[in-house]
Amino acid sequence: MSELIYELSKLVHRYGEHVVLEIEQLSIRKGRIIGVAGPNGSGKSTLLKILAFLQAPSEGMVYFEGQRVTFSDPPPRREATLLLQDPYLLKRSVFENVAYGLKLRRDKNDLTRRVGQALTWVGLDPKSFTHRSWNELSGGEAQRVALASRLILKPKVLLLDEPLASVDAASAELIMQASFRARRDWGATLVIVSHDLIWMHEVADEVLSLFNGSLAGTGARNLIMGPWQISESGLWRKELEDGQQIIAQSPSGDQSVAVLDPSDVSISPKSLEPASQRNAVKGAISQMIFEKNQGKVLVNVTADSISLYARMTEDAIKALSLHPGQTVWVSFDFDAFQWL
Amino acid sequence: MDFILQGLIEAIKLLAAGGGETYSAIFTTLKVSTISIIASLILGIPLGFLLGYAEFPGRRFCRTLADTLLALPTVVVGLLVYAFISRRGPFGDLGLLFTLPGIAIGQTILALPIVISLTASAIEGLDQRLRLTLLTLGASGRQLALTSLREGLFAVLIASVTAYGRIISEVGVSMMLGGNIKWYTRTITTAMALETNKGEFAMGLALGIVLLIIAFTVNAILSILKMRAGI
Repeated sequence: MSELIYELSKLVHRYGEHVVLEIEQLSIRKGRIIGVAGPNGSGKSTLLKILAFLQAPSEGMVYFEGQRVTFSDPPPRREATLLLQDPYLLKRSVFENVAYGLKLRRDKNDLTRRVGQALTWVGLDPKSFTHRSWNELSGGEAQRVALASRLILKPKVLLLDEPLASVDAASAELIMQASFRARRDWGATLVIVSHDLIWMHEVADEVLSLFNGSLAGTGARNLIMGPWQISESGLWRKELEDGQQIIAQSPSGDQSVAVLDPSDVSISPKSLEPASQRNAVKGAISQMIFEKNQGKVLVNVTADSISLYARMTEDAIKALSLHPGQTVWVSFDFDAFQWL
Repeated sequence: MDFILQGLIEAIKLLAAGGGETYSAIFTTLKVSTISIIASLILGIPLGFLLGYAEFPGRRFCRTLADTLLALPTVVVGLLVYAFISRRGPFGDLGLLFTLPGIAIGQTILALPIVISLTASAIEGLDQRLRLTLLTLGASGRQLALTSLREGLFAVLIASVTAYGRIISEVGVSMMLGGNIKWYTRTITTAMALETNKGEFAMGLALGIVLLIIAFTVNAILSILKMRAGI
């Protein structure tokens, strides 16, 4: 097992009275690519800011390379750098923007060559971009200049907040290639927040799912939100708008969020009826995602207003001849849930 | 209508001739306003930056005070400074009354709230992402403050130009603290008031033209700065 770069313990962060992040324990190993998934407001950006030492948590401990980080002393900000979703460029030339971090460190050796190299990494020709002004760049170019200004620092950790959200496909590819170079060339750890689950599972060694500020586990997770209603049999049910229902045992409250491991979900192309201890929900396959770290395929089924993932082997998918658009039945046990 | 036209022709002749009282007032104005704006920038930019950047008890009160003083009447400034630098005032021995430094003190006080308030607004208005970006690139507290000021430089320059516009066009301070002494403390605005009262319409008009040219130049600079800052 490789060395840990981050260790978070009993971490809580609040804005006023509102808890936005609560992580009991999280370890990140050096040189890994970690994806962070979750809906808006799940605490992803707050987590990135804490990992970049830009935000002190309200409670709990953060360890970086085994050392406790005290946010009151200058934290090791120069080891981890964050690329914002909508990056800010200084009102200066591209050269000045890329060289800024090095100048702060009073590291002015061979500046022109290093700025040129960083620009080349992100697919920008130094000859035509070095002297351009910050306001003469397209959105994708600005994002790449911002990334170059971070890569030139050769950080131990590169934190990327939705790096592909507002750029074209060509820029997206260049941004990711340049980010992966950081891991390949100097062993950087990458933490990437993205809504693009397909892409995330393709590139990440591990995907963390955040929901309402809590870690819902690693890898893809199904989240089924309340309200839950108790039935006469003592079981709880969630009604879907099309009349189907999901049965669960003992949620912690009627608004609880159910977490369902995709490995506990099965798919059948043949009609299934709900059994005594097992749910059966009819839906259509909307996409299939290859999970690089698991070597398996996540099959996404949309049923009415909810979306469920099932983790399957390639052989199983071939045997059942599953394909996007196909109507299928997903099944899982009443007691397969964990609760948030 | 004729006397306006006649006045205008005389005014152009006066300006074309050069020298004399007209140019004395112009040079006095430029000299004293330059001293005043430099002094108000030296004092006002750091104070405005502090007000817009730092958190400290009483900050909100200071901000409100600076904003209120934006509308400070020139004659009130003139009166207050007069009280301090006249023979009977605490600084009477310095002999500042009816001198250019006396006017400069009054004009500096007049411009200071503008520089402070607009600089504070410029710093407060900086993009929230700037702080995160600078910190994540490794800036220390001092480097963060200096780069923030540089990022807000255009807006701070706009504050300076606005303050200069106020100084150059004021009459109350120059009249009360300068005394409108010919060849010495007579500025464009005090000369215009006097000459018009005397019926010397042409000279008043000539000085008015110069004042308009200066005001136009200042505003043209302001427009260019605004455009460059993308405001």
